[in-house]
Amino acid sequence: MAMGSSRALLILSNFKFKPTVSFSSSSSSSKSFPSFIRNNFRTRNFSAETSSSLQPPDLPRLAETARISLAPNEVEEFAPKIRQVVGWFGQLQAVDLDNVEPAIRADTEGDNLREDVPETFENKEALIASVPSYKEPYIKVPKVLNKE
Amino acid sequence: MLSTIQPPRYLSRFPLRRRTKCRSLHILSSAEPATKTYLTDQSQILSIRDLLLSRQLSAVELTHSYLDRLKQTEPHIKCFLHVSDPDKVLRQAQEIDDKIKRNEEVGPLAGIPVAIKDNICTADMPSTGGSHILEGYRPPFDATAVKRLKDLGAIVVGKTNLDEFGMGSTTEASAFKVTANPWDLSRVPGGSSGGSAASVSARQCVVSLGSDTGGSVRQPASFCGVVGLKPTYGRVSRFGLMAYASSLDVIGCFGSSVADSGILLHAISGYDSLDATSSKREVPDFTSQFTSASSLQSRPLEGLRVGLIRETVDAGVDSGVKSAIQGAAAHLEQLGCILKEVSLPSFSLGLPAYYILASSESSSNLSRYDGVRYGNQASSDELNALYEESRAKGFGSEVKMRILMGTYALSAGYYDAYYKRAQQVRTIIRKSFKAALDENDILISPAAPSAAYKIGEKKNDPLAMYAGDIMTVNVNLAGLPALVLPCGFVEGGDVGLPVGLQMIGAAFDEEKLLKVGHIFEQTLEGYNFVPPLISNAAFT
Repeated sequence: MAMGSSRALLILSNFKFKPTVSFSSSSSSSKSFPSFIRNNFRTRNFSAETSSSLQPPDLPRLAETARISLAPNEVEEFAPKIRQVVGWFGQLQAVDLDNVEPAIRADTEGDNLREDVPETFENKEALIASVPSYKEPYIKVPKVLNKE
Repeated sequence: MLSTIQPPRYLSRFPLRRRTKCRSLHILSSAEPATKTYLTDQSQILSIRDLLLSRQLSAVELTHSYLDRLKQTEPHIKCFLHVSDPDKVLRQAQEIDDKIKRNEEVGPLAGIPVAIKDNICTADMPSTGGSHILEGYRPPFDATAVKRLKDLGAIVVGKTNLDEFGMGSTTEASAFKVTANPWDLSRVPGGSSGGSAASVSARQCVVSLGSDTGGSVRQPASFCGVVGLKPTYGRVSRFGLMAYASSLDVIGCFGSSVADSGILLHAISGYDSLDATSSKREVPDFTSQFTSASSLQSRPLEGLRVGLIRETVDAGVDSGVKSAIQGAAAHLEQLGCILKEVSLPSFSLGLPAYYILASSESSSNLSRYDGVRYGNQASSDELNALYEESRAKGFGSEVKMRILMGTYALSAGYYDAYYKRAQQVRTIIRKSFKAALDENDILISPAAPSAAYKIGEKKNDPLAMYAGDIMTVNVNLAGLPALVLPCGFVEGGDVGLPVGLQMIGAAFDEEKLLKVGHIFEQTLEGYNFVPPLISNAAFT
């Protein structure tokens, strides 16, 4: 891991959650930003220990986790944008959500699970035709195991 | 440039908008008329059916007229990533004509040209989701919604452009092309279902399917001056829809009238064993309560309680949009509605909560694109490098950023701070909508804070782009149905830019939205929502 390049992306210095999010990192957007994007919901005092446990995005590490290799110019382009959006996400930290149950989805209906019975998919040929490298009867990939 | 578009040769036989006196129509079968309706002047679908079954128009002629218009307008608007082979489409039309000739039954959508957003799978046709990673991919199956349309006789004319995997609000984030707004070619059609909205607006098809995760049907409907319908979460099977944010995704409908959107929704709704979130509820005939304009009473919506969401007409909303919405609200009052302002204090929290949930779920859902089982594969002699390179080459910037943000929000130790909190906000939002809809029959708001803006205007400022979704994302978080229909214009372009009114209803009550929307549409006078590009050049 090239720590030198990731160091530049660390944004600890200006990464702080605030009850009302300011967009100081991007002066161009803060001017034109509509007022409704700011949160005027009831907020609570924002304790330091919550924010200190959250590290800002470390782009190279995230890219590795997400299995996407990033070119240096992409790192440069994405870092400020991601930092800006993640900072904006942070406004939820200041909302009083004690005793509120999380909703995994809209929960309008659902959980209509079908029986767990295997079925034969008829169009098997088309399925196999879309595999990029195929060697009957296997899907071919580079070696999976390393010696170390 | 555009005035050079000449009317296609079949167009004179098929008007864009019929305002003839009501005629009766055989709905189910050319052989055995079962039901009659009087809505042919309010629905292209019913009007076409009427013409086909009465032999005033053949399906082949109809198909020609749409294909001709498509061919002439497409170079300017660029709605489609893939246009169906004309010979194949005409063969399908010929089969319908043959059946009608033999007095055999034809489906209720027989011969109707439909367009499908390219993140919805179609068998033996490219389905790329607007992404290079799926360039050339042909799914081995139809999405359930597509299968149902085909079974009812609809003809798929092509696959429409979108922001890659639905991630965007302008259709500029497509890996392949930028779609223009038919009202002003220098402007965006909205997104992510921009191609589906623009193709209906430009009358390249009668109706189209889109998908709506945070407003991707409703905002482009508003920008393009067409009707957009986001059904209740669970109403329509998502099987075959490329998953973006599964707790929010729905397939939605575009049409040039409320009636057409309702007919399309009816066709694709209902339980599907292949989508565990699809509902087993009965699907009502959404159009059964429609009445023709001439038989409407003077105050047909007497007593209907309408809540205007205060937070959606606050500062930050374009003044022209505000006055269009105020005009629409006044129109509803004239129809007999009781108008009240309602406040949803949690409204502004919906936007960050939505983007946390959507990016997190996308980071998980898009892990399937690894270049191994389908899609494009980068060459590599090591497996992880193969994944990393295939995804690096296959995904565009916006998709990569959302995956990275989602990966961040779901990281160990961060889940409680982001994903879980966003889910808690969803609970609050659901409750506040529930309370507002207990006191009101429907809620109204703009569909977007502005009309269509210029191509490139917001491309490099993600937060400015995300802010445009404020009117729509809360509805996805609450899983509710919403109808957007054109209600007025703001200045811009040659003749103004359309503005959409959003009506939000209780879960599974699309019927009420469609009824109210239909009356609103039939009684709204003085507006023409056919873009001049189409109405001047091809239909004079």
